[in-house]
Amino acid sequence: MIRFDNVGLRYGSGPEILRDVTFHVHPGSFHFLTGPSGAGKTSLLRLLFMSLRPSRGLIFVFGENLADLPPAGRAALRRRIGIVFQDFRLLDHMTTWENVALPLRVMGQTESDYADDVTDLLHWVGLGNRIHAYPETLSGGEKQRAAIARAVIGRPELLLADEPTGNVDPAIGNRLLRLFVELNRLGTSVIIATHDYALMDQLEAPRLMLHEGQLQVGASQIGVR
Amino acid sequence: MSFLSDIKDYPWTSLLAGILPSRIAARLPERFQAPSSQIVPPASVAGRALTVVIAIMTFLACLTAGGVYMVHQSASAWVDDIASEITIELNPLNTADVEKKMTLVALFLAKQPGVTRVTPMSADDSAKLLEPWLGSTAALSALPVPRLIAVEIDRSNPPDMKVIESALNQNFEGVTLDDHRRWQSEIKTITRSTALGGIVVLGLVAAATVAVIISATRSAMATNRGIIEVLHFVGANDRFISSEFERHFLGLGVRAGLAGALAAAVTFLLLPFLLHLLGGGAVTEAETRRLLGTGELDIWGYLLLVVIVVVVAALCTITSRLGVFRVLKSYA
Ligand SMILES: Nc1ncnc2c1ncn2[C@@H]1O[C@H](COP(=O)(O)OP(=O)(O)OP(=O)(O)O)[C@@H](O)[C@H]1O
Ligand SMILES: [Mg+2]
Repeated sequence: MIRFDNVGLRYGSGPEILRDVTFHVHPGSFHFLTGPSGAGKTSLLRLLFMSLRPSRGLIFVFGENLADLPPAGRAALRRRIGIVFQDFRLLDHMTTWENVALPLRVMGQTESDYADDVTDLLHWVGLGNRIHAYPETLSGGEKQRAAIARAVIGRPELLLADEPTGNVDPAIGNRLLRLFVELNRLGTSVIIATHDYALMDQLEAPRLMLHEGQLQVGASQIGVR
Repeated sequence: MSFLSDIKDYPWTSLLAGILPSRIAARLPERFQAPSSQIVPPASVAGRALTVVIAIMTFLACLTAGGVYMVHQSASAWVDDIASEITIELNPLNTADVEKKMTLVALFLAKQPGVTRVTPMSADDSAKLLEPWLGSTAALSALPVPRLIAVEIDRSNPPDMKVIESALNQNFEGVTLDDHRRWQSEIKTITRSTALGGIVVLGLVAAATVAVIISATRSAMATNRGIIEVLHFVGANDRFISSEFERHFLGLGVRAGLAGALAAAVTFLLLPFLLHLLGGGAVTEAETRRLLGTGELDIWGYLLLVVIVVVVAALCTITSRLGVFRVLKSYA
């Protein structure tokens, strides 16, 4: 499902952030991506999500070589991926509900078809009473949950989450983790970037560890070779 | 083909809501409401200044097109008029009894085939024709003003002008025939150059509109760069993004276009009075009237204004769409 072949990344003419990163992720797997701050977790997710191009190496997602993907193909691929940004990226002029519904709207679905799903999901992530609120009025944790809801509403085949529990208390963090696990059980591959060891200890899942630009696979139980 | 499916997929039912000012749009029945809020905030695209500029462009385009149309109408009415008429001119100088000769020539003309009516004009009538240029003075009657006979001809069975002319010359002295051909061609030249000038002005207005829309599209995209990024992240393709911008430009085009055309329509409604007010001297007024007719636009003329609104709206939409595609390509 995802394959990195000797991927290297540098910003401009700076140092290599990622060096010779090679790994596979199989469909239906669950991974943590971890490493110290500044190790390149966000950068790796951005590579996967086509918002960065690697300086070297090849990246395949759903069997497609990202290097030769035309813009139309890129849009189609992104519809199969849900992403939670570290800085949320909610649209300030739209309500929580509208933000969460955005991926479905972009896919051209009719509002009446998905209205209930969006509302249900918002209740599930504990934003039932913030449905009509604008992001400006949400707390950090509430924004985070809205961003997660937006990432999962389209039932993506691959979910990328960057520090999805960074701003919430452990109870809600566990609840969100359960949401990811549930999604994974329904067939979505999940990659969660985090340096929250307490969170990683909740779950038996392989860890992709970034250290000094290199990626090591640790505590491998499922799906990684 | 993609153009056809674009038309099919366009959110037509929410179009109305996109065009109307938001306060009024909110009162529309649910069916016509835009789905949720606009992804691109309307205010970030079509500010008041832009609306005013497009309205003024439309106003100018409407004035030009309406003016050209008016000139064309009055000219073709005039050409029609004078094509079914010829004028016989009598030189009063070497004729002892002008009135008698007038009668004789008139009788002669009435007998010619293809002539439907002969109207000899009195000396007073002739003087009146000169009045705008010379003023109404008693001195006119002392001048040897040429006498005229208006001859109406049957256009379905026109007489041979050459035959009539030579017959006249054989039988009378000092009589000339004017079949207005020179006038017709002159009027046509004027109409044609007015039309040409109008087309040039319309072209310039269109070019300015396109330029304004292109720069407005760019700045709207720069303002909403973050939104475009998020749309890309949730899998929007270029067509979706461009339609989000386009709908605002369509709304802008229709709104500003209607305002400009409405102002132009009011101007045309008031034109007869304006002509009168600005009339200046009798000559100016007579000349203006000759060019513009009564200064009234007929129903087709007003329809032309509607067409211009449609063209302006289409221009805004298409230009912005191409602009968005172009900028998106540069992001990639
Ligand atoms: N746009 C950029 N231009 C230049 N350097 C960048 C850019 N983005 C990130 N970097 C650098 O790349 C390195 C990795 O950054 P990245 O954001 O991927 O780290 P991270 O593992 O996500 O860190 P954190 O845990 O703090 O989120 C950092 O040294 C950072 O300074
Ligand atoms: Mg990060």
